[in-house]
Amino acid sequence: MPEFQQTAFILLSIMILASAFCVVLFRNLIYSALSMIGCFLGVAGIFILLHAELVAAAQVLIYVGAISVLVIFAIMLTGHRTGDLRLFFHKQAWVAVPICAVAGIALMVVMATATYNATEDAQNPSDDAIASLLFNEYAFPFELVSLALLVAIVGAVILAMKEKNQ
Amino acid sequence: MTPLQQYLALAIALFFIGSWGVLARRNIILIVMCVELMLNAINIALVAFSNYSPTGAGRGEVFVFFVFALAAAEAAIGLAIAIAMYRLKERLSIGDFDEMKG
Repeated sequence: MPEFQQTAFILLSIMILASAFCVVLFRNLIYSALSMIGCFLGVAGIFILLHAELVAAAQVLIYVGAISVLVIFAIMLTGHRTGDLRLFFHKQAWVAVPICAVAGIALMVVMATATYNATEDAQNPSDDAIASLLFNEYAFPFELVSLALLVAIVGAVILAMKEKNQ
Repeated sequence: MTPLQQYLALAIALFFIGSWGVLARRNIILIVMCVELMLNAINIALVAFSNYSPTGAGRGEVFVFFVFALAAAEAAIGLAIAIAMYRLKERLSIGDFDEMKG
């Protein structure tokens, strides 16, 4: 990678990992949600470094614009801003650390030792190519995903709806 | 480390921070947020593989759009369940929901 991209990658990585740690460690849920937005923005930057500008734009629109707002709405609606400290620093939290560390290190070793048939620099697939893949080759999965989204929206409305007659 | 491996290392680190959050925290909304972090890590890996592949560039990006749509569906359903649970019990800790216990 060129010098500039290397620097940008390191800065974005620090931003992503630090805000991901903040999501897990903050007691106040609003703070967690705000650090989650920081993490999503960092991931959008990583997509731009990978020459996936369309995906980066969709990331900002969908994650930063929609999902974060949904999460903050849920926090506000439940009014349950802070977690109980006793519920956070319990046994389960400390058991989870070695499990994740071991699995993560194992995957890192596999990733570092594998051989890849990769190009030197990230390629830049045109938006036309992605669109024609999406609407020709993957047209059926695309329709299936939109159906799943529709079902999820209807289900979410029904789940969150107040029952009037009971 | 090759550039591809750097991106994959970032994706692995983010994925396991997310899974640590899912395992360690007990608030339902926070668990949904950590699942979103894990899905983001998967997206980084998909785009990195797609754009460093000598053939089939762009194919992974199509799958990222599917992941986006399903992540949105998952967040909507997960948070609706959290709100319904809160209405039922006024609590959001997963330890409080043990109705199915025999």
